[in-house]
Amino acid sequence: MAIADLDLDLDLELFAGPFDLLMAVVLREEVSLLDLQLGEVVVAYVEHLEREGELELEVATEFLVLIAALLELKSRLMLPGPEEELDDLSPEEAIEELLARMLEYRRYSEASKLLSDRFESQRGYLYRSAPLPAELRRVAVDAATAVYDPDALGAALGDLLTEPPDVDISHIRPTVSLERRLRALRDVLRSRPSFDFDEEFGGEDRLTQAVTVFGLLELYRKGEITWEQDRSCGPIRVKKATPDAIHKGA
Amino acid sequence: MSDLSRTIEALLFLSPQPVPAADLARATEATEGQVAEAIELLREDLAEGKRGVVLREVSGGFALASDPGSEEAARRLLSKPRTPPLTQAQAETLAIVAYLQPVTRPEVARIRGVTSESAVQSLAERGLIEESGRSQFGAAIFKTSELFERLFGLSGMDQLPDPSRFDPSPEDERDLRERLLKAGEQRAEP
Repeated sequence: MAIADLDLDLDLELFAGPFDLLMAVVLREEVSLLDLQLGEVVVAYVEHLEREGELELEVATEFLVLIAALLELKSRLMLPGPEEELDDLSPEEAIEELLARMLEYRRYSEASKLLSDRFESQRGYLYRSAPLPAELRRVAVDAATAVYDPDALGAALGDLLTEPPDVDISHIRPTVSLERRLRALRDVLRSRPSFDFDEEFGGEDRLTQAVTVFGLLELYRKGEITWEQDRSCGPIRVKKATPDAIHKGA
Repeated sequence: MSDLSRTIEALLFLSPQPVPAADLARATEATEGQVAEAIELLREDLAEGKRGVVLREVSGGFALASDPGSEEAARRLLSKPRTPPLTQAQAETLAIVAYLQPVTRPEVARIRGVTSESAVQSLAERGLIEESGRSQFGAAIFKTSELFERLFGLSGMDQLPDPSRFDPSPEDERDLRERLLKAGEQRAEP
């Protein structure tokens, strides 16, 4: 399908009819490209696309190329060529423009004479050009005299460089959360069905171990574990509870 | 002369820049009204022709300057020759900057009808104009400097006369137009 088959009926200010006919009359210069609103053609095409609901890629491409070419042609027509510009300016207009520029220049040329005269008339007045004596300046490092002993500054900085003693935090009690110990126990049980308490938690401090034992009791109460201990203070073997074991333990 | 006048005279003697009245009031812990009064006394005392220094109101402040009568001797003492007078190009450029500031060099060139690079540069070197930023197209923007006001004896830029007073009279404008028309006709003749 080519652009000639494009069923695009235009109803523009300047032209009413199919798109291919518009192209033909523009090319034959029967319709002036300068007067033609190309935006209207594009809008009409977009509306046509919406109505049709589908995009013929080949036709759309050809349409874009054509519109782009027309736009370029139109923009060239709208820009005046260098010779045209000169032709457009009538001798009267040219003189008026020249006159305006001359008058503007004359204004500043006259002002410049006044400035030159003023410059000459003022040249006899001489002002202090030397800077203020150093001791009178508001900020002058060179002229500043020492007020403080540098050793005092050194001592102050030295104090800052000594590391302060460690802060005693012995009064702060460590806390162990039962909840966290339960989570630790369940984590271990998830990876294997039974474990030795000392092997798993023997490295923890006494308080943590105690709370973990408390956690064992809690899990036992909930029926999640059972354990075995052959003798008093002997190793504890913790096992994940099976329904059977719970029954037995209970 | 009052104590305040004497103090102000001393401050102006010490200061390398013109001192605004407000600064004088702050330094002397006096009101601006008292300062204005003291300045008037000082102005009478240092009127031209009376003493070796004169009181001048320049660049938004007050300053002491040497009396013009002592200029030659001062220049000999300080081995400081007169700077050359302004060239026509410099004076025109300076007028355009002074009246249209802030202004770019292309704008100066447009009005003068010739490139004005060297005039702008010389004025900048003489410290009469200075760069005050860049236009949106990157051209340097110029304005007049504090030195300009001091050297031209202006207490502020509003002291410059209205530029419309330089505009030619309607008769001059008519003459100019006729001369242009005649010149155009002569050129059109084969």
